[in-house]
Amino acid sequence: MSLHEPTTPAFKANARRALDDENLQLALRGGRNGFVSKRAAARDKLPEFDDLRDQARDIKNHVLANLDLYLEEYEKKVVESGGHVHWAETAEDARNIVLDICRKADAKIVNKGKTMISEECGINDFLADNGIKPVETDLGEYIIQLRGEVPSHIIAPAIHVTVDQVRADFRKAHTHLPEDRDLTELISLQREARGVLREKYFEAEVGITGANMLIAETGHSVIVTNEGNGDLSQSLPRVHIVMASLEKIVPTLDDASTILRVLARSATGQETAVYNTCSKGPRRAEDPDGPEEYHVILLDNGRSNMLGTEFEEMLRCIRCGACMNHCPVYQSVGGHAYGWVYPGPMGAVLTPSLIGVEQGGQLPNASTFCGRCAEVCPMRIPLPKMMRSWRAREFEKRLTPSAVRQGLGLWAWFAKRPWVYRRATAVGAAALRAMSGSKGRIASLPLAGGWTGQRDFPAPQGGTFMAQWKAGKR
Amino acid sequence: MSAARDRILARVRSAATDAHPSADREVQVASRLAKPPSGPAPHQASSRGSARVTQFMNKLGAVEATISRVPDLSRLPASLAHELRNRNLPAAIRTGTDPMFKGLDWGAIEPSVGPGRMEEPATLSRAEFGLAELGTLVLASGPENPVTLTFLGETHFVVLREADIRAGFEDFWASWRERGLDPRTINMVTGPSRSADIGQTLQLGAHGPVALHVFLLGGGNG
Repeated sequence: MSLHEPTTPAFKANARRALDDENLQLALRGGRNGFVSKRAAARDKLPEFDDLRDQARDIKNHVLANLDLYLEEYEKKVVESGGHVHWAETAEDARNIVLDICRKADAKIVNKGKTMISEECGINDFLADNGIKPVETDLGEYIIQLRGEVPSHIIAPAIHVTVDQVRADFRKAHTHLPEDRDLTELISLQREARGVLREKYFEAEVGITGANMLIAETGHSVIVTNEGNGDLSQSLPRVHIVMASLEKIVPTLDDASTILRVLARSATGQETAVYNTCSKGPRRAEDPDGPEEYHVILLDNGRSNMLGTEFEEMLRCIRCGACMNHCPVYQSVGGHAYGWVYPGPMGAVLTPSLIGVEQGGQLPNASTFCGRCAEVCPMRIPLPKMMRSWRAREFEKRLTPSAVRQGLGLWAWFAKRPWVYRRATAVGAAALRAMSGSKGRIASLPLAGGWTGQRDFPAPQGGTFMAQWKAGKR
Repeated sequence: MSAARDRILARVRSAATDAHPSADREVQVASRLAKPPSGPAPHQASSRGSARVTQFMNKLGAVEATISRVPDLSRLPASLAHELRNRNLPAAIRTGTDPMFKGLDWGAIEPSVGPGRMEEPATLSRAEFGLAELGTLVLASGPENPVTLTFLGETHFVVLREADIRAGFEDFWASWRERGLDPRTINMVTGPSRSADIGQTLQLGAHGPVALHVFLLGGGNG
């Protein structure tokens, strides 16, 4: 289970290491602006984009207010179509259900479409420990599986890997291919992976996919992909397992379409993903293909405890990744620094909910509170507000480091005494100005090495806000 | 696992009813499922007539699919033969049992019927609908159009009747329900497969088809 142990409490050290990792910084620079500019272009092309975000938000709010009823309806439809629904309260329950199904199917190889729920449950390590070989078929997931890593982004799992690293990994792994083959072009790398994985689709006895949505009206699970690997993973093996969390429910096919209209645009800037697939139940008597068994595992793992709390809105998340694509912290340190499955702003809110504030409490601090995540979220999730709530809880539980607590206490003492506060800030501003000389910047500052180690500290200009206010500069 | 089911549902129910108390939740949910409210559809999902066909073709072109117009069904084999030759593909095609393909004179093309196999240079399916909003093809799985043909074909050919193009999701789902379709899988396909997982650079031909070609069948024939 080594890959799965959270290192979230070590966020600061992880981030430090990430900043010093040249390969990582090179990879992050390469991916940085693509997602942002493509999303902006997709939004600009659709005048109704913001209306659709409102619609999508309202759909999910309605679902969450009636989730029990929709779950029952969905389950009924899956069973009617010949499928099985399994309920998992914890990640451990989900692991055992998966293993049980695989054992009954006498599975040696399990193909995986990209699923974050499977990452959350640590399925790969667990299957391997039990003598079953998991094969990731999404190209990015395949690359990081070769490297023994976990995803660093929820839709671009190998965004932290450079092309040179992929080339070296393929040469090391695909030893059955000629050593002198030409892998200069990117397309030759992609074709090589395609060839290797094509065979795997026909070998696996079980295919596991996630679900972007579960449709209550029909009992369909929906996957949204570009590569086609998810569809092959769920069409060719004898058994298909869908792993999904409770909140993936949408009422109808029409509601699913509304979500689809905002999902791809927010994620990659495409108007739609290449493949939006709805599937339900096993193959029918007349069907020439498709799985003979269809299982859905509905995972709770802490989500039902978020309902009705200040974190309920997080359950609207459709995993597009826009929040991390636009986050200055994520852009600087990448996803692994966050130390668990879900990185970026959505991870900072979700992780403490799922593994506890004691483990995940560091993550809500990994924010500059610039608010871009909330600005771009297609489901209008107030991420900064929720990060603040986690910070408050961390403080209340006395999990915050003592230096920070003392600093906050000191600040609170001043803040409650406005006259003292104003005098102190005026003196402080003047002192900083004096230290900066004529440059207007300070290269090194006592107690602020964390800041000045990376960049200069800007010296205050002019008087304090209150002084300017008094002087009538309004 | 029924104990886990009951515990999860009990937690969800008590949270939902505490936070959102409402006397007639069951009625609300049932009526919403029976008649989904339609929100404001985007303008790009409202085209009509020949503008709709043009929009569909433009959208498909924008996602690297190719398209050719076939005036009537009897001309389909010749159009397919032309495409196979131009792409240096073997003169063979894999299809399902769709009635549209029955009785066609394939000429020099060797047809075979069944699900997809590991090596599948060219496959042919019929799409139930097209969406002008996005350039999307909608396929219904079954013996007529096996789902594996959509994903295993190196080049995937799809026939679509012009009359089956809908403006957007709204009129598409209405028509879908009218036709009484209920396949195991609904496959919405918009272009050939692709990935940007290596070097953040988009490349066609990930695990599904490397190329997607649409035969747009005119005149409502067939």
